[in-house]
Amino acid sequence: MSLSADLKKQILQNIDRVVSAGAEYTDARFYTNDDSETLFLYDGNLEANDTNFESGLGVRVLYGGAWGFAATSDAKMMNACFDQALQNAITAAKLVRVPLHMAKKPGHTGHFASPLKQDPFTVPLKEKLDFLSAIDARLKEDWICKRYVYAEFQKKNIFFFNSEGTQVERNLSNVFAKMMVMALDTDGQMQRRSQELFTTGKGTRGYEMLTQPELFSTHAERIKDELSQLIKADALEYGKRSVILLPGQGFLQVHETIGHPLELDRILGYELSYAGGSFVDLDSFGKLRYGSDKLSVSAFGSIENSPGSYGFDDEGTPERDYLLIDKGLLVNALSSRPMIDEANQKAGRTVFSESGGAARATAFYRAPIDRMTNVNILPGNDGTLADIIASTKDGVVLDNPVSWSIGSNREHFHFSTEIAWEVKDGKKTRILRNPSYQGHTVEFYNSLSAVGDASTWCVYQVDNCGKGEPNQIMQLGHGIPVVRFDNVITGERK
Amino acid sequence: MQKNKAHEMICAVRARAAARGINASFSLHREMSHLMRIGNNSVSLNTSENLTRLDIEVINGRRTGSHTQMGDVTSEEYVEKALQIAVDKAEVASPKDYQPISVVVEATVAENAQYDQSLEHLDPAFKADAYQQIIDNVGAAYNFSGSWSSGSVELFLVSTANDMTMHHLATDQDFNVVLKHPQKKWELRQCKSGWRLEHFDVDDVIEGFRQLLPTYEDHAGFKPEPGEYTVVLGSSALAEVLMMACYTGLFGRSYEEKQGWTSKNKMGDQVLGTNINLVDDPAEDKTFRFGFDMAGKVRGNFPLVKDGVMMNLMYDTMTAAKYGRQPTGHTGGSPSIVMKPGSASPDLLEAVKGMGRVIYIPALHYLNIPNPSQGVFTGSSRFNAVLVENGKVVSPIFSSRITDSFQNVFGNVRLISSEAESVNLSNTYGRRAPEAASMPSYIVADKVKITDSADSF
Repeated sequence: MSLSADLKKQILQNIDRVVSAGAEYTDARFYTNDDSETLFLYDGNLEANDTNFESGLGVRVLYGGAWGFAATSDAKMMNACFDQALQNAITAAKLVRVPLHMAKKPGHTGHFASPLKQDPFTVPLKEKLDFLSAIDARLKEDWICKRYVYAEFQKKNIFFFNSEGTQVERNLSNVFAKMMVMALDTDGQMQRRSQELFTTGKGTRGYEMLTQPELFSTHAERIKDELSQLIKADALEYGKRSVILLPGQGFLQVHETIGHPLELDRILGYELSYAGGSFVDLDSFGKLRYGSDKLSVSAFGSIENSPGSYGFDDEGTPERDYLLIDKGLLVNALSSRPMIDEANQKAGRTVFSESGGAARATAFYRAPIDRMTNVNILPGNDGTLADIIASTKDGVVLDNPVSWSIGSNREHFHFSTEIAWEVKDGKKTRILRNPSYQGHTVEFYNSLSAVGDASTWCVYQVDNCGKGEPNQIMQLGHGIPVVRFDNVITGERK
Repeated sequence: MQKNKAHEMICAVRARAAARGINASFSLHREMSHLMRIGNNSVSLNTSENLTRLDIEVINGRRTGSHTQMGDVTSEEYVEKALQIAVDKAEVASPKDYQPISVVVEATVAENAQYDQSLEHLDPAFKADAYQQIIDNVGAAYNFSGSWSSGSVELFLVSTANDMTMHHLATDQDFNVVLKHPQKKWELRQCKSGWRLEHFDVDDVIEGFRQLLPTYEDHAGFKPEPGEYTVVLGSSALAEVLMMACYTGLFGRSYEEKQGWTSKNKMGDQVLGTNINLVDDPAEDKTFRFGFDMAGKVRGNFPLVKDGVMMNLMYDTMTAAKYGRQPTGHTGGSPSIVMKPGSASPDLLEAVKGMGRVIYIPALHYLNIPNPSQGVFTGSSRFNAVLVENGKVVSPIFSSRITDSFQNVFGNVRLISSEAESVNLSNTYGRRAPEAASMPSYIVADKVKITDSADSF
């Protein structure tokens, strides 16, 4: 959906008007549409058959070193929305100890569209339901208590303008899906196995991604088979051992203990009253051994088909491919323009040379904050999953999160997973249920002893990352190989 | 109820839909939201959002479809168009193997008992000034951050089942301020919740910090080794844990599907300690009160646990329809969970005087459920946590993790404060959805498992 010439003219005139009133910087995002569709089959019953259509304008004004923001879902209220954002900034400027700035940038124009062959919103609902129902039928067994198949489609057309003359149009499309089966184990406890739609990092991300069997549907039989063994399995005993994380668990480990602590707004203390801070500080960059030398982590990673690949962020900055951690050494953060300016001021030196292109907003009615893009562990040289298992004396292979709980500064964590495979003397021996592990972030990543090669690497999508006040949900991705950590506390102490 | 053009347009479309034999419900959600965010002793964001959403659900036999449209309701055609999207979706939907329960507005309701116009239209400068006072009085050498959300929510619900209407208008606020020591890194927090502007008191916030600061300034952190401790949970931590216990054990869905910690129990079983009483009470003013749910059911006092005995489960319409139960007023909206206060002194330090060493955890961060069947939860301490010995605060504690079960913690409660507090549980993901619980200001529980601790706060 395109933006009418009249609306565009009104937006540009309002930006000029607000700058004339003394604003240092102004930007506006107009969403001509922000559509989502959710389909949820639970035990074969279509429990969610929902669409949600939104459109509107979000305006951000920097005045006197402080941000004001306002949003409206009514385009007729555009002038009032700009006025409100300016007034909010003027009020905010009354309490400024550390003025925020946007380092001057030349304006530019740009366009980005998520690569896709088939827009999910053009696929008839019946076809989508038939596809999900076919998967549900494959999951059905007498001994399975619960099963669900879920898909969500998103489409956003966003027009960005700022007072530097930048104009960017983005047409973003996302497809998420998950299937799960549940059954009671020998103790009457519910166990589960699941699989999410993942990608190889290459290709398109329209409806066709969902229908590629190897990325989703073909896993139905595998998760059923694994659940059938899981419900008869012994529980994982408490003890220290190696943990080998498959990408289905590794993505969340990276998300919670590398991605979040490296968001620059968290590091600077802007999330303390909600999401939390970070054990990383400005002195850590270039000094902190975040992990072993096998750990290299990128932002964006030039992944073609992830929700963390969006062309330009919500400040109009082109998304950038760069390293966050280089062979274990912390070198950069996920950042936006005002945050790097403040960080450099605070440090009294140039810690960050340019924005990470990571200012993102969940909707027109939220202001952008520092978010993850794609945060990825780069593939290593330790071979395949089989090779890593073969070189493991005592460990467990873990897959898919059940719960995750992280310290407020991301300094420690506790995860439980759906399934564990015991590894003894280089061989997978048996499946174990109720697995969990915990650790302290820096110690944990410094125990990284094996990183799988490119054959083990894939991209997991995150559709529900929460952060910010007002709260914002964000979509992103993680490219993750198989990884092994040694000497980790697993299971629960009796 | 006020005359409202949008309501009239919706009612007109509702009447035509009913005449056409369409089974539909319409709900309008309007919010006026303001939030001021503080970071590094400055206002980091000052934001206003005025948003309207129209939700329509259609039931066509055993098929359902729903659609949400954001934007002002400016014409009947606008509502008709949204209705048609839901109608079309229901037409194509696969039928359920049970009959969905239609939205039936049980009574005409117009409630605004928790509405404060002065809070709805609060000048953001008031908030900036309050933060300024806190920073100036407590000390600008500390690093202050925080957020203050305030606003109003209006709900309007009708269905084609009858001509009745339900209307809710209320205000709410959620104030937080966090003080962080720039070098020592500890974090203290003060928060306020309520539906009236007067529920915020800046002097109270400043005094709260002044009471806590000496302990943190003058003592090194204490690192508990893994083991069992007598733990005091403050109202915020208590609400977090109890709400998780409710979601995984006292909602019909988790019970019927054998996923929760009460699944092996039946009504009348002792599931928690005999001193635990829980009720969903929409008349309790320390909660954000909703007199009806989004299925049109009038909500009333609903006992969940009495003297530790499981009394009732909360059923939404979908779960009730699927498992042949009656819905209980828990379809959407926010419950008003109340834990009955006990008889212990409101003065915590007085109450724990003879107990030796106890760990006081006022708030928990990032609670989750590693094993719902066993009722195992985990989360770590955050803000204002201290070690108390013989009724005296002796040191702050480092970030420490509790991993334990609901049954163990609420089966070993030694003391319950006689004072109740309002705990704000709202989030602002998507639409404004105020929720608060009324909790004793603290409980003291024995044999609580601390499973890990950091070397930092």
